[in-house]
Amino acid sequence: MARVEFRNVRKQFDDQNKQTFTAVAGSDFVINDKEFVVFVGPSGCGKTTSLRMIAGLEQQTSGDIVIGERIVNNLHPKDRDIAMVFQDYALYPHMTIRENLSFGLKNLKKPKAYIEQKVQEAASILGLDDMLERKPRELSGGQRQRVALGRAIVRDPQVFLFDEPLSNLDAKLRIQMRVELGELHKRLGATIVYVTHDQVEAMTLGERIVVMNKGVIQQVASPTELYANPRNMFVAGFIGSPAMNFIDARVEEERIRIDGAEFVLSQDAAEGLKSYNGREIILGIRPEHIYGEDFAPGVSTEHQMQAHIKVVEHLGSENLVYFRIGSRTVTAKVHPETKAYSNLSKQFIFDLNKARYFDPATEERIDW
Amino acid sequence: MKTRSKTIFLLIAAACLIVWSIVTIIPLYWMLVGSVQDSAATASFRPSMLPEAFSFAPYERFFAKTAAWRWLLNSLFISSVLTITNVFFASLAGYAFAKLKFPGSNAIFWVLLSTMMIPAQVTLIPLYILIVNVFNLGDSYTAIILPTAITVGNIFLMKQYMSSLPTSLIHAARIDACSEFGIFWKVILPLAKPGLAVLAIFTFVASWNEFFWPFLITNSTEMRTIQVGLASFVFAESTDFGAIMAGASVGALPMLILFFSLQRYFLQGITIGAVKG
Repeated sequence: MARVEFRNVRKQFDDQNKQTFTAVAGSDFVINDKEFVVFVGPSGCGKTTSLRMIAGLEQQTSGDIVIGERIVNNLHPKDRDIAMVFQDYALYPHMTIRENLSFGLKNLKKPKAYIEQKVQEAASILGLDDMLERKPRELSGGQRQRVALGRAIVRDPQVFLFDEPLSNLDAKLRIQMRVELGELHKRLGATIVYVTHDQVEAMTLGERIVVMNKGVIQQVASPTELYANPRNMFVAGFIGSPAMNFIDARVEEERIRIDGAEFVLSQDAAEGLKSYNGREIILGIRPEHIYGEDFAPGVSTEHQMQAHIKVVEHLGSENLVYFRIGSRTVTAKVHPETKAYSNLSKQFIFDLNKARYFDPATEERIDW
Repeated sequence: MKTRSKTIFLLIAAACLIVWSIVTIIPLYWMLVGSVQDSAATASFRPSMLPEAFSFAPYERFFAKTAAWRWLLNSLFISSVLTITNVFFASLAGYAFAKLKFPGSNAIFWVLLSTMMIPAQVTLIPLYILIVNVFNLGDSYTAIILPTAITVGNIFLMKQYMSSLPTSLIHAARIDACSEFGIFWKVILPLAKPGLAVLAIFTFVASWNEFFWPFLITNSTEMRTIQVGLASFVFAESTDFGAIMAGASVGALPMLILFFSLQRYFLQGITIGAVKG
């Protein structure tokens, strides 16, 4: 297995009107040996292009890509020692599962006995033993996905590349395959680069996550770090479901004013926001850090404000309560025993210790 | 009301199709009837729709008076070679235009496509001069085969077909250490079989029925194809209707058999490129 490194990698395309479009704008990162790294971001953010550049299916415009100890810029995909699982599985429809699994090894001119052993191994890991003589069209979506995984496993590559491999599966199967992928990573001890637009997949699978937007890496961090300390408003809004609430606020000495209510800041926060005194900032708070005043066990009731509930969604394990503060709709994820229904005016508690503050101009988190 | 108007529409459509079928089939039927009866019966003032005095004598006369076996073999050989060259080159070119990125691919494709706008009659004389005077190939198999060894229409057909194949398969094969020609040969061609079958059948039929170019480029009796030979026989034996009909049947029958046995591919050929997937 091996590490993967991007050194100031750029990728530009010319669109139909000969306009240059930057898909990846100078990426720098290192994926460590045996690490499971997930690239996540909205459509067109450059995550799949990054993956395809590692695979050698796209040539970067500038910069270096390193796999293991080698710069692979000019290497053909077959010489990069990688294997890729595609979104649509890309199984060869005219070949049996056995032929699909062995195709790569045959092309590499490996001995027959070795190929057979590898195919059997992969088939038993993935539970495909009794399907080897079938054609892909005779398999279900989940089974096809396993074959696609098997085709990657038999190669024993340095790096596994996954391009939204679960997006064509139904919700239940997706969760099952997600667990299996996690187990597979532990079993193979492989370096895995995984692309998805689904932040739940990213959070559950990735040891580290690369969040991208408009071709620019926004943050590279572990799931917990991303969730707790997003570097900017994009990451804060993208990671987490429901998304983090952004509320317009104004710093006044050691307090912040939100739509008529005034909250005293902690000593740290007051110190950190000193330079913003008299200015507007954005307060970011996750829905689970807002409580109904009747059900907020162990939370300081210091920061409260009255709000008019618009909608309540009952999810069983929790309720989502929507209300407005100023021009923004705020979501609170509250305990199902919290009394909440539409048109009720209710007191909400904000756990400001968990809140994050952002500069409205740069959208970056204000650090202290 | 809706069901009733639909029924009326279907009845009218069926009636039109029946009339059309009769109009199309009668000449073929008449040709077959004429080929198994006496010439006088075919030429009579009130011909019968059923053969009078069934006989294969017209066929015997046709084969006796002409080099028909040679013409049939020529047609078979030329059509087969043209089918192979068109399938091979058109699928390669179609694949390249549909799936490979290379500078100027769009421009080259449009230039090729625009040549389809030029009527064949316009290029016929330059082509004749090129083949006969420049390359000195007149009255040969090469002369008949070369100009249509690959046609733009077939490239277009194959490009449309190849475009519908998933590109991820090509990428998967590339990662699976397959060479570029290996991808074409082991992955693309097997998947393009239905398209190739359509192309092969269309090309074979068109080559078999081709008349004007072989007529123009061949002089000797032994280089003629069945269609050209038949025309020369009609000129020479304009009164022997039986033998003419027998010759026409000999020329048309292989294609009729081919059509009926491979009907579904013909229908598929009409819709290629119309629906993706």
